[in-house]
This record gives sequence, C-alpha cells and structure tokens, in this order.
Amino acid sequence: MARLQLKNVVKSYGIHEAVRGVSLDIDDKEFVVFVGPSGCGKSTTLRMIAGLEHISGGEILIGDRVVNRLGPGQRDIAMVFQNYALYPHMTVAENIAFCLEQQRLPKPEIAARIAAAAETLHITELLERRPAQLSGGQRQRVAMGRAIVRNPKVFLFDEPLSNLDAKLRVKMRTEIKRLHKLLPTTTVYVTHDQVEAMTMADRVVVMNRGIVEQMGEPQQLYLAPASKFVAGFIGSPSMNFLPARLVAEGDALHILLDDGTRLAVPAARAATLGRHAGTAVTFGIRPESIGPRQDRPGWAPLDAAIDLVEPLGATTMIYFNTGSSSLCASLNSEGAPKAGMTMPLSINMTQMHLFDPQTERSLTA
Amino acid sequence: MTRPAPALAPAATSGPSVTDRLGYSAYFLVALLLAIIFLMPIVWSFANSFKPAAEALANPVALFSKAFSLENYRRLENVGAGWYVYAANSVAIALGTVLLTILISVPAGYGFSKFRFPGQSLIFMVVMATMMIPFQSILTPLFLVLKILGLQNSLFGLVLVYTTFQLPFSIFMMRNAFDAVPGALIEAARIDGASQWTLVRRIMLPLALPGAATVAMFAFLNAWNEFLAALIFLSDQTKFTLPIMLVNVSSGIYGIIDWGALQAGITLTMVPCILLFLLLQRYYVRGLTAGAVK
Repeated sequence: MARLQLKNVVKSYGIHEAVRGVSLDIDDKEFVVFVGPSGCGKSTTLRMIAGLEHISGGEILIGDRVVNRLGPGQRDIAMVFQNYALYPHMTVAENIAFCLEQQRLPKPEIAARIAAAAETLHITELLERRPAQLSGGQRQRVAMGRAIVRNPKVFLFDEPLSNLDAKLRVKMRTEIKRLHKLLPTTTVYVTHDQVEAMTMADRVVVMNRGIVEQMGEPQQLYLAPASKFVAGFIGSPSMNFLPARLVAEGDALHILLDDGTRLAVPAARAATLGRHAGTAVTFGIRPESIGPRQDRPGWAPLDAAIDLVEPLGATTMIYFNTGSSSLCASLNSEGAPKAGMTMPLSINMTQMHLFDPQTERSLTA
Repeated sequence: MTRPAPALAPAATSGPSVTDRLGYSAYFLVALLLAIIFLMPIVWSFANSFKPAAEALANPVALFSKAFSLENYRRLENVGAGWYVYAANSVAIALGTVLLTILISVPAGYGFSKFRFPGQSLIFMVVMATMMIPFQSILTPLFLVLKILGLQNSLFGLVLVYTTFQLPFSIFMMRNAFDAVPGALIEAARIDGASQWTLVRRIMLPLALPGAATVAMFAFLNAWNEFLAALIFLSDQTKFTLPIMLVNVSSGIYGIIDWGALQAGITLTMVPCILLFLLLQRYYVRGLTAGAVK
C-alpha cells in the first residue's frame, strides 16, 4: 500500500518527447485510469512507473522512496500486460509462484499464497494447466493472480482487456473493480477506452500528446471538461462542436451560430461569460443535452432537418446539419423522427460548454 | 410435349469420393517410392553387415542372406587400432564440438538478440560472412595455426576447428530462437524480480530449447561425419575417427575392398546419427521454423 507520485516526469527518444512533464499525485488505495488516444504517452508513463523504461527527467516516488534508479524487480509493483505475458512453459501454479520464488519465500508459504490467490480468482481447478490450454478470460485471471499473489505496493494494468471480446471485457471489467474493493491497492490502469476509464476509475487522467489534459473524477470530467480535447474524448457519442460567436444584447448573452441561429445563454451562466462577449468561441453541446422541443427556462429552440437516424434500442441517435456543421442528438426512441423529417428540438443551454478556438481551453469550466 | 425426367444420379456413397481415394493412393505410392529410394542404401548396408564375410564379398548386391553372422564386426576389430578406439575418438570429438558450440552460441545468440551495443550489426555480419569461406581453402593456414598452438594431431585441436566452423550457423540459429521469445515475457520476469541469470535459466533457455537442440544436432552430425580435416590434422593411428577408419577398411589389402567389414563400419557410423535425429526431430522442426511465423 503506498502513495504514488510523479514529479514533472519526462521521456524523450532523441528529439521526440513522448511524455512532456507529467506530474501526478495518486493516493494510497486509489484506482487511477490513464486514458487517451494511441501515442499519447499513457503506456510510456506506465512503463516508467514499472521501471521498464528509463526516466529522461523528473522523479517517480512509490511510498516515500524515489525509484528512478531502481530496477523493476525492486520497486515492489505488479503488472498485468496486454497479452498477459504468461510463461508458456510453466503451469499456472508455476507462473504464479515464480515471483514468490524470486523473493526466496519458504515453500509452504508459497503454496498457501497460491491457494489463496487462486481461490480469490476462481482458478483453483486451472492450477496444473499450461497457458496454451486456457481461454482468453482464464489467462487474464492467471495474469491477475500472478499480480495479487505478491501483495505489491502498486498494481499496474496495461490495456489488460483489449484482447478480449466485447462481452468478456464487460465481465472482466467488473471483476477487476470487485477485486480492487476486496484487496484495496494503489492501482494505475491504462486504457484507450473511455468507457472503461469512466466505469472503473476513482480518478481519470486524460492524456494527449505527452501531457496531462485533465485529472479528476469521472463525473467531473464529463460535466466540466477543462479542454475541447477532454470534452470530445469523454462521453459517448462524442460532444458536438460548432464555431460560433458570443454576442451581447443588453444584459443578455447569445450564442450566434454560423447559419444565423441564435441561442440564448441562461442568465446564471451569462454573468461569468460576459467578459468574452464579442469574441469567436467554439460552442460544445453533448448529444444528451439536445431533446424534443420544450418550453422551459434554459432551453433554446432549434429546428432540425433530420439527415440520418440510428436506433440503438432505448435511445435513437439522430444526425442533422446546422450551417456548415453536423450535429448529433440522442433522443428517447419513443417518438423519434424518421430521416428526412424536420423536427423541432431544444438545446439544454445550462449544459453547454464554450471553448477558446485558439487555445481550446474551456471558458466555462 | 413433356420430356422424360432425367434418370436419378446414383446415390452418393458416404465417405471420401472416388477421386479423393485415387488422389490419396497416388500420393501414397509416390511417397512409398521416394521412401524406398532413400532407405535402400541404409537397408542394404545394414543387411550386408550381417552376412558372413565371404558372402558379402562374393555377392554384395543380394539384399538378404540365409546365414546370419557377426564376422564382419569382428573383423573391424583388426582394422588399425580396432573400431572401438575410432568410435571413442568420434564420440569424444562430436560431444566436445556440441558442448563447445552450445557454450558459445547460446550466450552469443542471446547477446545479439536482446542487447543493443555499438557495432552490433557489423559484428554479426562479419560472423555470418565467415560462412562464405570454403573450408578447404584455409586448410593450410589452419594447419599452421594448430601447429603453432601445439594442437596439431590432437583431438581437442580438431574440436576447436569444428566448433569454429559450426559457430556462424549456430549463433544465427540461437539469435533467431531468442528473437522469437516475446519481449513482454522478459519484462514480466524482470518485474517478478528475476535476475539476469534467472531470466536466462528459467525463462529464455527453456523457450529457446528447440533452437539449442537443432544447434546441438547439427554440431554433432557435422563433427561426426567430417573427413577431410580429420585426415589432415590427425596423424596418429590411435587418434583417427570413424570416417578415416572407413577409408582404411575400404582400401584394404591388395586393393580388394572388404565389402562386409566396410558395411559393418558404415552401419556403426550411421546408427548414432539416426538415433539422435529420431530423438531430437521434434525440436529440430520447431527450431528451424522459430521466428518464421508469429
């Protein structure tokens, strides 16, 4: 059990900087998920924590100990790899025992610990098999068994579910979460799947081009994204972005879209946005914040010529154009329109986001 | 006007169709023919070695004889220092070559596969390039080198020569074998706290075993069968190897070839190779294709 700290950590390959100054403070027993597109530096950061990559700059602390110069075996961490990395010539029991043998624990204790880990993960009946005789889900469990058996200070997961099919992925997701409840240990989990990040994390770290875009609780990232990148990455389907201007008319503020549509900004939000009046902005609205026409305060009307309809069962996605931009809305399937129809919609302006078109930072968060 | 319904086709029989069976039979026949062509010399040598010496000499073409005799093997004892001396020399040289080749090529292959160091590709290229040098063309310098080292007419000297010529292929083989071990396994072992030595012994070597078996087998066969270097570097009759003995047997007294004794010698020489191949063939096939497909 330990706190994990990254202080201005840098990784460069020649002139290319894969990780550009990442600072994080991960509490004891916290489950933190690194998420971002491929090449964003999340896996590199994880591998630096593991000691599999040299750190070009900055400091990593596990507990109170700077681990920069320690080898992976001395950091008291356990890692679950994307392809599980089970030793193919050893049985499941031998795979799990390997790390304990390296610590020169007495044989009875090794046996007891293997039995306990196998019990926890329901793999007792697989102990004598070899990895080639296991299914993907079973291998995944063995890989986790190998990690939990040594009671490490930090658990590291490197996209552990990406080789499983969709159904198994959801199942293993809940199992990992349950395991973390059962054995609370500081955990860093890397994924490119924002749904995994949202469902599993205590806190999510969104990375992009080698920097941390935002760190926070899943709901906070969803409700108050700090940048256009986070707003677009978190939430499915993705947030709609429209070029717009913020215009003032007396006390009231309006969003003026490029097709001339005017959307009234609710008075509660207008106060903080007044200083941006007259500037170009990027208007962001989630598909869930668009609904059928309603006459309530905070909702702005918009007429939509429906382009495409995607029924998903409980909800239906509709696509339509406003000026030069395409928008997506998520509606209740009951009373959903057909393609080609024109439908009166309303936008929940209390849930709108505004971003600076140049810096892409949020003006509303 | 109605046309008569076409006659029903004969009901399809269960199992493979006629063409399938014909194809299979043709395949079987061709395979059988090839097997006979390849096995014939071995069977013929084997059969002749157990004939009485006179019969082997008089009628070497006949495959089988009514009389069974170990006379030919007994006669081998009178060739030079006796066949068992030559066999022992061959075993010592072959095993020595295998041991030395494995001891050098496994760490070398591991180094080339898993470490990055300056001049790596250049060194590897140079090692591989030595495969292009015909052995016969450097016999004289080799002879001189061995003489200076005092290893001429010594079994150990011959082991050194064989090992040298075995190494390029063996290092190449072992590098491929270690390349085929996924990097994630090494990382997992390092996180598990394995030392470099444990990593090699417990993870890398077991996984590269097919490669090592292939290397060992090639080293054994080449050292076992080699004739020219053994003939030139060894001058003591008690140090000769089996292939040299075979030549001595065949060019017997007054130029008459003692077919029986020769076949007995050939059989003795072949048996270890065949046994070794059968023992290691499982690894051998896996070793040669290692890294070919992911």
